[in-house]
Amino acid sequence: MRVVDAKGVGKTFGTGSESVEALRDINLTIDPGEFISLIGPSGCGKSTLLRLVGDLTGPTSGELSINGKPASQARSNRDYGIVFQKATLLDWRTVKKNVELPLEIMDIEDSAAADEMLDLVQLGDFKEHYPWQLSGGMQQRVAIARALTFNPSLLLMDEPFGALDEMTREQMQQEVLRIWDETETTVVFVTHSIPEAVFLSTRIVVMSPRPGQISDVIETGLDHPRDVETRESPEYYRKVTEVREALRRQEGHG
Amino acid sequence: MAETDFASAFEGDVPVGTKTPSALRNRVQDWIPATVAFIAVIGVWEGAIRAFDIQAFVLPAPSVIIQRFVETSDVIWSAGLNTLIEAVGGLVLGTVLAVLVAAMTVRWAPVREGLMPFAIAANSVPIIALAPIANGMFSITSPVPKMVVVAIVVFFPVMVNTARGLIEVDSAELELMRSYAATPGEIMWRVRVPHALPYFFSALKVVSVLSIVFAIVAEYFGGPQDVLGQYILTKANLFVYPDAWAGILVASILGVALYALTLLSERLFMPWHVSFRASDAS
Ligand SMILES: Nc1ncnc2c1ncn2[C@@H]1O[C@H](COP(=O)(O)OP(=O)(O)OP(=O)(O)O)[C@@H](O)[C@H]1O
Ligand SMILES: [Mg+2]
Repeated sequence: MRVVDAKGVGKTFGTGSESVEALRDINLTIDPGEFISLIGPSGCGKSTLLRLVGDLTGPTSGELSINGKPASQARSNRDYGIVFQKATLLDWRTVKKNVELPLEIMDIEDSAAADEMLDLVQLGDFKEHYPWQLSGGMQQRVAIARALTFNPSLLLMDEPFGALDEMTREQMQQEVLRIWDETETTVVFVTHSIPEAVFLSTRIVVMSPRPGQISDVIETGLDHPRDVETRESPEYYRKVTEVREALRRQEGHG
Repeated sequence: MAETDFASAFEGDVPVGTKTPSALRNRVQDWIPATVAFIAVIGVWEGAIRAFDIQAFVLPAPSVIIQRFVETSDVIWSAGLNTLIEAVGGLVLGTVLAVLVAAMTVRWAPVREGLMPFAIAANSVPIIALAPIANGMFSITSPVPKMVVVAIVVFFPVMVNTARGLIEVDSAELELMRSYAATPGEIMWRVRVPHALPYFFSALKVVSVLSIVFAIVAEYFGGPQDVLGQYILTKANLFVYPDAWAGILVASILGVALYALTLLSERLFMPWHVSFRASDAS
């Protein structure tokens, strides 16, 4: 069964002369355990596609099913863990309480889960701190831990590392890969960074703007586990070049 | 190996503004200017009255007021207690109603759209003008008409502020809750209510003081005699100004006490709030 199955999905915001066609005719299938990156110029509809998958907004045309059911059903079944571009932590909760939020709502009794996830993102010493006591990158890691506590079958991440410096970013990429390896979740990951997309993904979905469409899908084919050596391998460079050319190609068309 | 690398990269992430003894010391220091200013004002007041031989009906000296405050303490505190009952009764009544209505505005958009413009307009109506009418509507000898006036004064700012706090939640936080398939009730308790607490308390801080003021003003329009408003009015009419001022002093103490109580409960209910963070300025 496919985790994501989109057939001719389109999304138009608004009506009449002010309407914006954000996505047109998106056909995409994602299998369990894949790591998919969405890449493309700003405004090409990456976030919109992610939000459609997560049932935060509905398609205006086409069909979309998640784990073999409508997206709304998947959301009711708590299939999604979402990490937004902004950490979106609740100010009045400590780090640990923030990570426990989904567990509380889903009535999951697992007192160890939050601690485990915080250790995973290296924030074990900050459990009792409030969000405002953390740096932007630390807050983002709390958000990642929060999305993982309830073992969602589908992890949706919208430029989660946008606020991080290059070093931290690479370490977080390594962590996300490790988590993905250990938990067997399927990941849909939005990014602006070509190297990031290549390093993380099994497949890269290249999108073009106005209206947002899928222009290329590139298999990375790099071996797992991936590490620093992967980043220095010729195959890696070849893929980075391939993605860059795919992006440039569709720019030429536009 | 990768593990240690990962950890070491975050060693620089030291949290700021944790509450420390120095934060406490700062809080004490915050009070120093106000205390000095207060003592200075009293001193200048006392000095001016002696220096310029100002008559008691213009302005009695603080020492005289204090003296009467002590001598009449039985009467004024008994009046003060009755006024406090009216003020607190109205405060509780108005606040409870305000919070209930504010909660309704979240669930039912028509309530919000129909009520909010009216409530904001009502905020600028001189509600105290209702006092004589309220006296007529209820038994004039009971504290109820005063409570009603206070409750009306309290209702509008608390309702408008609380509703704003409940409604103006970060849309990203709502999406997060949506992604968990949280029920409206859970969104209310886990996001909207905590978000509204600072709004609620900032209104409560204002109306807690106003409740005493408006209870006293309502008392000027008649009713039982053993209350601060009547006491101050009677003493002023008899030209016994130091006694009237002693009554005003009781009213001030009650107002400050209610305000302090609100501050305390604010800290109790929302220990996370920004305004309690140790400031690294100064
Ligand atoms: N809620 C909305 N209402 C109206 N238009 C919207 C809305 N959300 C997105 N759009 C439009 O849809 C298009 C795609 O937006 P989207 O946020 O998906 O782009 P993106 O690829 O994520 O861009 P970026 O890389 O800058 O985040 C844009 O033209 C945007 O103006
Ligand atoms: Mg985006």
